[in-house]
Amino acid sequence: MAKYIGKRMIHLVGIMIALSFLTFLLMYLAPGDPAVKKLNAQGIAVSPEVLEAVRKEMGLDRPFFVQYGDWALKVLRGDLGESYKDGLSVADKLAKALGYTAQLALGSMLISLLISLPLGMLTALKKDSWLDYVIRFFTFFGNSMPNFLISVLLMYFLCVKARLLPVVADRSLKGLLLPAVALSVPMCSRFIRQFRAEILEQLSRSYVSGAVTRGVRSRYILFRNVLHNASISILTIVSLTLGSLFGGSVVVETIFRWPGLGKLAMDSITYRDYPVIQGFVLFTAVVYVMVNLFTDIAYHWIDPRVRED
Amino acid sequence: MDILVDKSPRKGAKTRLTLFLILAGILVVLSVIAPKLAPNDPYEISSANINAAPSAQYPMGTDRLGRCVFSRVLMGARTSIFSAVALVAITFVIGSLLGMASGWYGGIVDTLIMRFADILLAFPQMVLAIAVAGILGGGMFNAMLAMGITGWTIYARLARAQVLALKREAFVDAARLSGCSSLAIMFRTLLPNMLGPMIVNASIQIGSMMVGIAGLSFLGIGINEPQAEWGSMINNSRAYIQLAPWAVLGPAIATIITVMIFNYLGDCVRDVMDVEAGE
Amino acid sequence: MKKLLALMIVLVLALSLAACGKKEEDGTPEPEAKILRIAESFAYASLDAHKDYHGWYTSIYGMTETLFKIGNDLSVQPLLATKAETSEDGLTWTITLDPKAKFSNGKAVTADMVIRNLQRVGEVNDSYHDVSAYVFTKIDDTTFTITTDSVYPTLLTDKLASSAFGIMDLDSGDLDNAPVCTGPFKAKSFEPEGTVEVEKNENYWNGTVKLDGVVFEYMSNDESKLMAMQSGEIDGYSSVTAAAKQIYEADSSRYKLTVIPATRLQFYVLNKNTLSDNVRKAINLTVDCQDIADYLGGTTSPAVGPFGASAPYGQVTKPAVDTAAAEAALQADGYTKNSDGMYEKNGKPLTIKVCYYSARSLDTIATILERQFKAVGIGVELVGTEDADSTYRVTGDYDLALYCMIADKSGDPYYCINALYRKNGDWALAGFANDECEALIDELKGETDINRRAELANQIVQMTIDDNAFGYIGLFNKTTVSAPSVVNIGENSPFDFYAVNADTDK
Repeated sequence: MAKYIGKRMIHLVGIMIALSFLTFLLMYLAPGDPAVKKLNAQGIAVSPEVLEAVRKEMGLDRPFFVQYGDWALKVLRGDLGESYKDGLSVADKLAKALGYTAQLALGSMLISLLISLPLGMLTALKKDSWLDYVIRFFTFFGNSMPNFLISVLLMYFLCVKARLLPVVADRSLKGLLLPAVALSVPMCSRFIRQFRAEILEQLSRSYVSGAVTRGVRSRYILFRNVLHNASISILTIVSLTLGSLFGGSVVVETIFRWPGLGKLAMDSITYRDYPVIQGFVLFTAVVYVMVNLFTDIAYHWIDPRVRED
Repeated sequence: MDILVDKSPRKGAKTRLTLFLILAGILVVLSVIAPKLAPNDPYEISSANINAAPSAQYPMGTDRLGRCVFSRVLMGARTSIFSAVALVAITFVIGSLLGMASGWYGGIVDTLIMRFADILLAFPQMVLAIAVAGILGGGMFNAMLAMGITGWTIYARLARAQVLALKREAFVDAARLSGCSSLAIMFRTLLPNMLGPMIVNASIQIGSMMVGIAGLSFLGIGINEPQAEWGSMINNSRAYIQLAPWAVLGPAIATIITVMIFNYLGDCVRDVMDVEAGE
Repeated sequence: MKKLLALMIVLVLALSLAACGKKEEDGTPEPEAKILRIAESFAYASLDAHKDYHGWYTSIYGMTETLFKIGNDLSVQPLLATKAETSEDGLTWTITLDPKAKFSNGKAVTADMVIRNLQRVGEVNDSYHDVSAYVFTKIDDTTFTITTDSVYPTLLTDKLASSAFGIMDLDSGDLDNAPVCTGPFKAKSFEPEGTVEVEKNENYWNGTVKLDGVVFEYMSNDESKLMAMQSGEIDGYSSVTAAAKQIYEADSSRYKLTVIPATRLQFYVLNKNTLSDNVRKAINLTVDCQDIADYLGGTTSPAVGPFGASAPYGQVTKPAVDTAAAEAALQADGYTKNSDGMYEKNGKPLTIKVCYYSARSLDTIATILERQFKAVGIGVELVGTEDADSTYRVTGDYDLALYCMIADKSGDPYYCINALYRKNGDWALAGFANDECEALIDELKGETDINRRAELANQIVQMTIDDNAFGYIGLFNKTTVSAPSVVNIGENSPFDFYAVNADTDK
């Protein structure tokens, strides 16, 4: 296992190099100049001389490879650099935003799992009952609403009409609730459908009818075999989703003014704040590889069939 | 608790499949003949009719520029439905093929494909989308490209996981022992067994893609005004949700109905395949 | 299943840890404390007024004050300084400080400290490096002189009244997080790029502060601001959108709405290199600014020139909308109407490339322009970009370029004229280069007489109108909403960087 993890770590370095280079290239090619963005923040025209001076000061006048190399060398020394926008340390900015995003990701994942695991199982077992139909209807419904619409509707009805929760949420659990719910609506809808499909898939396997024929108790088959075997796919789905949640959600974070990674990334892209974008990309690469590593380890743990790979 | 009941395929699966195929067909036809059905010019603005409530002349009211929401919803059907379906179809085929190859052959093929997928998947989609929109400009095709670049990886990963799990099943060994070629096993034995969950996933993805393209317009990339597209219509009207809810609800309900039809369609496909597998 | 359960338990634990890790400081105010809550669309990571645009916000927060301020009528008024006098040659300014002026820590505002502040802005702010070339001389504790190398009539409005020149006590406090300043409020808690709380400055030198404190909530989403206002969680904000404005108007018992003309300009540049004189004329005769303002729901007012019509330097005229005359101009150029009702010449339809970016309603304007042009038979190709400053503004690849900028940031026309109409200016690649105009701009730069300045400005702007080089669409109004009892939150100032002051009350 140690060797396996070691291999994955080397793999991580490869991904990080490829990604950082690609991002740098993409951002370099995309129109938008950090110096212009910085100077134009309030809609005031800038003279070309000032712009030139600032570009020079920010090192933007250097060739592409020099800029990338300079950045990469710094990263190798453990320095993610400073934000163009405000001169703060990129690492600090990311760490702070990550804290908020982690709360949101875990909160919405928890809500989603609490709802969709039982409902996924129930709809699989009660397949074609009215309950199945009703739940299916709602999952389709939840899955087809754009996130910003869910957020705005939730805010309008729960905060403005019912006055249950504040619009201006503080950073407490209460403030976390609404954005977490907004994020978990589409997530639940997907999960329920996917869990149901996976469990049904397992139920139709020959080992289930075999066990029933042998007289094994249904409950036992369900919990020992079916769920156990289904958990591979469930884990894949959950961990992939969790990985993408850790990239932050721009829409929900903007509407609920939750200062997470999505908002930070979006702002950085708008401002062409290269160091922060780069830091963000590296971070998501790490998260991605970690999530996959975790998933694979969990595979080995749960399903001996893949152990030989 | 009787868990065996669930194995029996849903009755009338084929009837339902036909029903939803017809519904989906109607949607496609509607989107093609939309320009003939639209009661008003979907692009005609009118300062006298801003945010007007639904009426005989404007069945779904008007938006913030006085445009007929109903006509725009009809016109938007083509863009929205076509783009999402095409995108899912392309990414599904590419992703599944690569995922199957990866899972079946393993080794260097697996490494190459999955590492490539890893790099794309590890790429924050937003950075990619904005870079694509920035470099190539906005518009439908580029929005689709931005979504599609990473879209195929989800199918590749799922297909690979399925193949890995199925590879050790007795029936695969049997096929191999009976001298079937790798390709034959992949397409005749593995594919039917894994298609169920994958199609369910693809049907969900049609919705997600439509919603995702709508999300791009929230970020200010993707489809530009004044083109009628449901996602950008919802986004551009959302500020008026308290004043002119119809301008949001029109395209939103159209999106929801469409996504639901495609979801149900995916469901029926699965049911029918269950029936056939059962036979 | 057990393993899944275990996983979920881990999730719960992780979540509660994450939640507990962040202890909330309990900001419960005393029951009688009068705290105003305002939403702001921007938030910066520092309170150092001299850097970047932070000064806008420290000024909004009521923390920093400048030597002079710009009144609601755009006139220069004394604040920390009582007067400024120029020498005979116009190069040396003598500034007299208000002897009462003091920082929130009780220290007096001295000429030494002010000079150090001004010099620091020149050092740390990229937009004001020219200040470094000035010579500052202290006369006594409350008097000093500034000598510039050329005549600079707008020194007060461009520099000393600009919010970047907010005066801070450079010897105490943490300039980034809790600077000591002279304003009616001082920093209480500061969350970088987040909520900023200020409290009453008990030592305020210029009157008694009525409020106990103000909380500035960072909310960039317009719907969130609207809903926070509806639920009563905030007391007001400015830059109200057209949609929100209509909702507030419908309930005047709960909301007080103030709409005043302001200085953010929506305009377009016509490319003289690609469009003939007659086509440009036709375009300007077609664009109906009143119609556009109607669509924008009263958030803008139709513009004649770049400056408000009430300013002495805003006295210009442009021809009324006349689509018949527009068509005549096209026909004079050899264009004829084809079977689709669109103009064409030599079988090539007339299509103009309209470039815009999606901010400040420019995308909506582009949509409306397309219809207005189509109505007279001019085809339009709409090109939307995320960012004008690095695309069409620098490449010149457009026929009609939409843009938005603050035209008047300090009650003087020079800034905008210099930025827009110079031969080597930002938009010069559109082909507007006029020697006569250039000479007038040079004269305006050094002109000290205020009436002559206005006259020059009017002449210059009129030239751009007569040449059909630019089209001025609208000036954004400053729209402020508040609870009915709230007064003095900058609702009557055309500038965004003035908000709370000592008289603000709720």
